[in-house]
Amino acid sequence: MRVSTSWMQQQSVNTMMERQGDLSGIQTQMGTGKRINQPSDDPVGATRAVELTHLGADTDQYQRNITSANARLGLEDKTLSSVGNVLGRVRTLLLQGMNASQTAESRNDIATEMVQLRDQLLGMANSKDAQGDYIFAGNRTGAAPFVSQPGGVSYVGDQGQRMVAAGPGLQVATGDPGSAVFMDTLTGNGSFAVGAAAGNTGSALVGATGVTDASAWNGGNYQIVFTAPNAYEVRDSGGAVVSSGAYDPEKGGTIAFKGVQVAFSGTPAANDSFAVAPSSKQSMFDTLDGIIGALRQSTSETGLQNALGGQLANLDQAIGTVTQTRAGVGARMNALDQQGSLNGDLTLQYKTALSDVQDLNYYDAVSKLSLQSSALQAAQLTFSKLQNMTLFDYLK
Amino acid sequence: MADLLSTGVSGLLAAQVGLSTVGHNVSNANTDGYSRQQVSFAARAPQQEGRYYVGTGVDTQAVQRAYSQYLNSALWSAASAQGRANAYQGLTGQLNNQLSGSSNLQSSLDSFFGSVQDVANAPADASARSVLLARAGGLASTFHALSGQFDSLGGQVQRQLADTVAAINSDSAGIAKLNERIRASTGQQPSDLLDQRDALIKKLSGEVGISVAPQNDGTLSVFVGNGQALVSGTQSYDLGTAPNTYDATRLEVVDKGTGAVLSSRIGGGTLGALLDFRSNVLDPAQNQLGRAALALADTFNAQHAQGVDLNGQLGGTFFNIAGPAVQAAGSNTGSATLTASISDIGALGSQDYVLSYDGSAWNLRDGSGATVAMTGTGTAADPFKAGGLSFTLGGGAANAGDSFRIQPTRNAAGGIGVAITDPNKVAAAAPLVGSAAGANTGNAAVGALTVADGSNPNLFTASSIVFSSPTSYSIDGGPAQTFTAGTPIVHNGWSLALSGSPANGDSFTVKANTNARGDNANALKLGAVANLGVLDGGATSVGGAYGQLVGQVGSAGSLADDAAKTQTAVYNQAMAAQQSVSGVNVDEEAANLVRFQQAYQASAQVINAANTVFNALLGAFKG
Repeated sequence: MRVSTSWMQQQSVNTMMERQGDLSGIQTQMGTGKRINQPSDDPVGATRAVELTHLGADTDQYQRNITSANARLGLEDKTLSSVGNVLGRVRTLLLQGMNASQTAESRNDIATEMVQLRDQLLGMANSKDAQGDYIFAGNRTGAAPFVSQPGGVSYVGDQGQRMVAAGPGLQVATGDPGSAVFMDTLTGNGSFAVGAAAGNTGSALVGATGVTDASAWNGGNYQIVFTAPNAYEVRDSGGAVVSSGAYDPEKGGTIAFKGVQVAFSGTPAANDSFAVAPSSKQSMFDTLDGIIGALRQSTSETGLQNALGGQLANLDQAIGTVTQTRAGVGARMNALDQQGSLNGDLTLQYKTALSDVQDLNYYDAVSKLSLQSSALQAAQLTFSKLQNMTLFDYLK
Repeated sequence: MADLLSTGVSGLLAAQVGLSTVGHNVSNANTDGYSRQQVSFAARAPQQEGRYYVGTGVDTQAVQRAYSQYLNSALWSAASAQGRANAYQGLTGQLNNQLSGSSNLQSSLDSFFGSVQDVANAPADASARSVLLARAGGLASTFHALSGQFDSLGGQVQRQLADTVAAINSDSAGIAKLNERIRASTGQQPSDLLDQRDALIKKLSGEVGISVAPQNDGTLSVFVGNGQALVSGTQSYDLGTAPNTYDATRLEVVDKGTGAVLSSRIGGGTLGALLDFRSNVLDPAQNQLGRAALALADTFNAQHAQGVDLNGQLGGTFFNIAGPAVQAAGSNTGSATLTASISDIGALGSQDYVLSYDGSAWNLRDGSGATVAMTGTGTAADPFKAGGLSFTLGGGAANAGDSFRIQPTRNAAGGIGVAITDPNKVAAAAPLVGSAAGANTGNAAVGALTVADGSNPNLFTASSIVFSSPTSYSIDGGPAQTFTAGTPIVHNGWSLALSGSPANGDSFTVKANTNARGDNANALKLGAVANLGVLDGGATSVGGAYGQLVGQVGSAGSLADDAAKTQTAVYNQAMAAQQSVSGVNVDEEAANLVRFQQAYQASAQVINAANTVFNALLGAFKG
C-alpha cells in the first residue's frame, strides 16, 4: 500500500501521544491510589462507591450513637447501683428497728438516719448527666423531676423514654423514666398487701404472704377477721364469708383462701382484723416516710411490728424494682455492645468492599506502567528510525 | 525526416514539467489537504514519411491531482463524527471532573444527617443543635457549588456555541469564494483551488455535520441539518444565535436569514456535540441534582413540621427551596398564566415539560416531545396533574399556539437554603403524647400519632377518647363515632392510629408533650429521612438520587471516552485511505525526480545529437 510520508510521521506522533496519555492515566492512578478518579472511569463502580461510602458513614454514626447511649446507660447503672446501696442500708436499719430490744429513743435515732438516707435518695433520683439533663425525668429533662413537698415526693417528669438509633432499624432506650423506677413500685408482695386494722388488740403478726394459685386469685379486697383467738373468717368486700377455719394461736398458722395464703403468728384478740387489698403503687419515698413514721410512733409493739413488716415488704419490692431496672439497663448495654461489634464488622466489610471497588491494585498498575513505558519507548524508537530513512539520503 | 531537435526539445520540456511537479509535490508534502499531482504524457502525433510514421516527441497532457471523491467524502464524514466525539468527550470530561472533586454531595449529606443523630443523642444540647444548623448550611453550599459548576459549564457551552457558529460562517464564506474562483477557471482542473476547498469542507465538517452536493458548474453546495443551505453556488448563508423563546439567557442556533431555530436539527461536529451535551447531559444532570435537593427539602420539612422545637412551637420550614419554574413562550399572544407546584414528590421525574394550547385543549409534552397524559381541568380546584406536578391556569384566555415551559427541578439545587437560624427552633421533640389508660381491658395500643393539620388552634388541647364498644368511641364526651381497625382517629388536627382492638370502656388520651426538652422522637425520625425512599415511588433516597446522578454523568463520560477513541480510529483509517491515494510519498518523489532528471539529461543529449548531426552535415558541405 502507498503511504504518505507526512501521514506516516503523523501516525507515529499520534501513537506516541496515545501512549503518553495512557501513561499519564496510570500516573494519576498511582498518585491517588485509586482506580476510579472520576465517575467516567467506571460509572457503575463510582455509584457503588458513593453508596458504600454512605453506608460506612451511616455505620460510623451508629457507633457514635452507641457510645453516647452507653455513656447514658452507664450513668444510669451507676446511679441505680447507689440507689440499691442506700435501699440496702435502709433495709438493714429497718430490720434493726424491728428488733424487739430497741427502745423508742434508739428507734428515733434510726429514724433520724433514715431521713438522711431519704434525702440522699432524692438527690440520686434528681441526678443529671454530663449535659445537665436530669436522667430520671423522662423527656422533661430541663427541670428536677422529683419534688419534695409536705405531703411527700411528687414526680413532675413524664413517661418518655429517649431512644437511640443503634443500627438500621434498631432503636434502644437509653433511659428509664423516674416514675417507673422510684414511684410506681407495687406494695406488699406485688399482688396484694396485708394491713393490720388500727384497733387490733391482740398480738397477731402478719408473716409471709403469697399467691399459690394465680388463676384462683381475683385481686379483690378481703378482710381476715378473727372471730375468736382460734378461729377466723375471710369476708369479701360485701361482708359475705368466703372462707373460714381454725387458727392455732400457740404455733401460728397459714390462712389460705382464693388461691392466696397469709401466715400469722401470735395470738389475735377476738374481732382483730387484717385487710387484704390488691397491691397499689407506692413511691420509694412514701415507703421510707412510712418507715420513719412507724419508727417514731409510740403505739403498741404489735402495731409497730405489723406496720414495719408491711413496709419491709414494700421496701423489698422497691429493691426488686431497682434490681430489675438495672438488669434492663445491663441488657440494653449488652444489646448495644453486640450491635457495636456487628457495626464494627460491617464497617470493615464496607471498607473492604469500597477498597475493592475504587482502590488501585498496585501490582497490576506497576506491570501496566512498565508495559506502557515500553510501548512508548518502542513508538519513539520507530519514529527515530523512520525519520532517517529517505531515498534522498542516497542521492548525493 | 522528423525534426530531431524539436523531438528533443519536447522531451526536455516534458521532463521540466515533470520536475516542477515533483518539486511542487515535495514542497507541499506537509500541506494540509494537499493532493499530490501527477503529470500525464502522450506521444505527439507522428509524421507520415512514405510508408511509415516517424514519432515527433512527447506532449504534456495534463497535471492532475490524485483524488478519490469517495475517499474524500468518507474522510469528511469521519471528521464530522470525530469533531463531535472529541468535543463531547471534552465537555463530559469536565462534568466528570466536577463530580469527582471535593464537593461530594454524599459526604455533605452524611455529615448533615450525622449531626441530626447527634441532636437525637442530646436533644436539649445547644451545641449539637448549632452544629446541625451549620452542617445544614454546609449541605446547602454543596448543592450551590455543584449547581454553580453546572451553570458555569452551561455558560461555557454558550460561549463555544457562539464561537463555533462564527467559525462555521467564516468557513462557509470561504467555500463560497472558492466556488466562485473554481467556476471561473477555464480549461483544466485548478487542482490547488480544489484542494483548498476540500480542506475547508473537511474543517467545516469537524465543526458541524454537513452534506455536500457537487453541482454541474464545478461548485459544491453544502447543507446542514435537514436541508438548510450553508453554501449554494457562490452564495453562503450565515447561521446565528438567538435567545430561546422560553428563556432569554439560553442561546439557540438559528438561520440568521429567517430566524428559524435549527438547534434540534443539527447533529455532528463540535456544534452538534455542544447542543447534544447541553440537552442530553448537562440539563438532565442539573435536573437530577435539583430533584435530590427537592426531595431532601420536601421530606425533611414535612418531618420537621411533625415535631416541636424547644419553645414548644411546631417545627417550621427547615429548608427553603425554589419550586418549579414556569416560563411563558415569548411568542404567546393570549393572556393566560400558569403556575406549577409539586403534588407528589414520589412521582417527580427529572424531565422538563412544555404545556401548549392548540385552540381547544392543553397538551403536555416532555423533553423528547412525547405527549404526557394529564388529569384534571386546570382550575385551582381541579388542576392538571401529571408526573407528580399540578398546573393551575390563571389570567385571561389563551390563544392557539400559546405555550409554557415547566422546569420542575432546574432551580432547586441553586436555590436551596436553611430557613432556620435559631438552634432552639430545631423541632426534635414529638408535639403530642398519646397514652392508654391503665385500666384498659382491650389490647389496643397507641401507634403513630401525627400532626395532620398544624394550623388547628386546638392541636395542643388535651383530648380523651372513650370507647363505648369495640367499634364505637366518643371524644371528650362528643357524639359517638365509628371506629374501624386500621383507620386513624382524627381530631383537633392530630391523627392517632390504634393497633389491636379496644374493648368497651377503654380510654385513651392525647395531650401536648409539654416541657419535653429531652424528647428526641422527631429527631430520630428526621435522622431516618437519610435513608427514606422518597423518589421514584419510594424506591430512591436523596443519597440514591445523587448516586443516580453520578452514574448518569459517569456513563455519559465513559461512553464519550469510548466514542472518542472509536471515532479517532475511524478518522485515522479514513485519513490513511485518503492519504494512500492523495498523500505525497517523498521516496516516490525522489524516484520521480531521478526519473525526470534522467529524462531531461537524455533529451539534452538528443538535442546534442541533433546538433552533432547538423554539424556533420555542415562539415560535409565545407569539406
